[in-house]
Amino acid sequence: MSEAPKREIPPAFSPEDMARRRRRSVALALVLAGLVIFFFVVTLVKTGPAIMNRPL
Amino acid sequence: MSAAFDRFVSRTDGAISSTGEARDFFALLKPRVMFLVVVTALGGMVTAPGTIHPVIGFASLLAIAVGAGASGCLNMWYDADIDALMVRTAKRPIPAGRILPSEALAFGLTLSVGSVIVLGLVANLLSAAMLAFTIFFYAVVYSMWLKRSTPQNIVIGGAAGAFPPMIGEAVVTGDFGLHSIVLFAIIFLWTPPHFWALALVKSGDYARAGIPMLPNVAGPAATRRQIVAYSLVMAPVAVLPALMGFGGLAYLIVSVVTGLAMIALAFRVLRVTEGEAAHKAAYALFGFSILYLFLLFAVLLAENSLGLMWALPKVLG
Repeated sequence: MSEAPKREIPPAFSPEDMARRRRRSVALALVLAGLVIFFFVVTLVKTGPAIMNRPL
Repeated sequence: MSAAFDRFVSRTDGAISSTGEARDFFALLKPRVMFLVVVTALGGMVTAPGTIHPVIGFASLLAIAVGAGASGCLNMWYDADIDALMVRTAKRPIPAGRILPSEALAFGLTLSVGSVIVLGLVANLLSAAMLAFTIFFYAVVYSMWLKRSTPQNIVIGGAAGAFPPMIGEAVVTGDFGLHSIVLFAIIFLWTPPHFWALALVKSGDYARAGIPMLPNVAGPAATRRQIVAYSLVMAPVAVLPALMGFGGLAYLIVSVVTGLAMIALAFRVLRVTEGEAAHKAAYALFGFSILYLFLLFAVLLAENSLGLMWALPKVLG
């Protein structure tokens, strides 16, 4: 039985590549945090300030 | 295929994740196009007969901008093969190997769906449906079909770039009327002279990539005549907002003066046909056309939102 051709494994990321990926992750985290604030503010505006006035 | 295309394939084959940075993903959104979309959508919002809460207006504008960026990203994903062949686009993130095609596709689809849902929740269903249609029109109708099949590609595809003012008006009123249809017409008629001026200079690039732009199919002379014809129709249409009462005296002056300049530059493109001077004439028209569209909408914005409107008698509409 003939062996299936082996797929070449890409070389590991260099420290510089890892630093770039880390910066990318930080940017993504900032965007997600911004989205949380965005949805919070828009929800307040859409529903009005009464949404904060709820019995516990 | 060319060596450039082979390099593009070898760089992306087999990899599962790139080392692209945030700025590479941002570049996929075509930020300069996004900026014009924001300006034109805002134009549709401020000239709409109605008012909107500033936060809702800002959120809607953000969703429209992200939707426009998403369609640009899907365009870059689909066109990566021909972008690798053209000098003007070879350094874009996908052909340069900084972003994988699969990453760009996932990014574009996620932002498309997200922007449409957000606009639907924040504003209304009509504006969300129009944004979805605009993304579909640019990514599928223009990028996947028209661009590689007809020299009228940017004429019909120009509609995608012309929709934002209509989306802007739909955000405010839940409907769209004559004002945003006029703004649509201005951008729609502006697109052919703008792109064909660039295509005259970059016809070698387009020929290499096999894209049937008008200069490559009908020839430079026919393209120059078409540029003049569209400019002659566009400039008077651009004055309509002043005659219909949603552009004031400043808009009237700016639209007439810059419209005449556009026509003069178009005629120079028609007249100067040889050598470096012909390239300069085409570049001058291309560069000025961006300033022209920006100025028209900037004045509309200033007049309608900053209280700088010196109203004129309404002649039409």
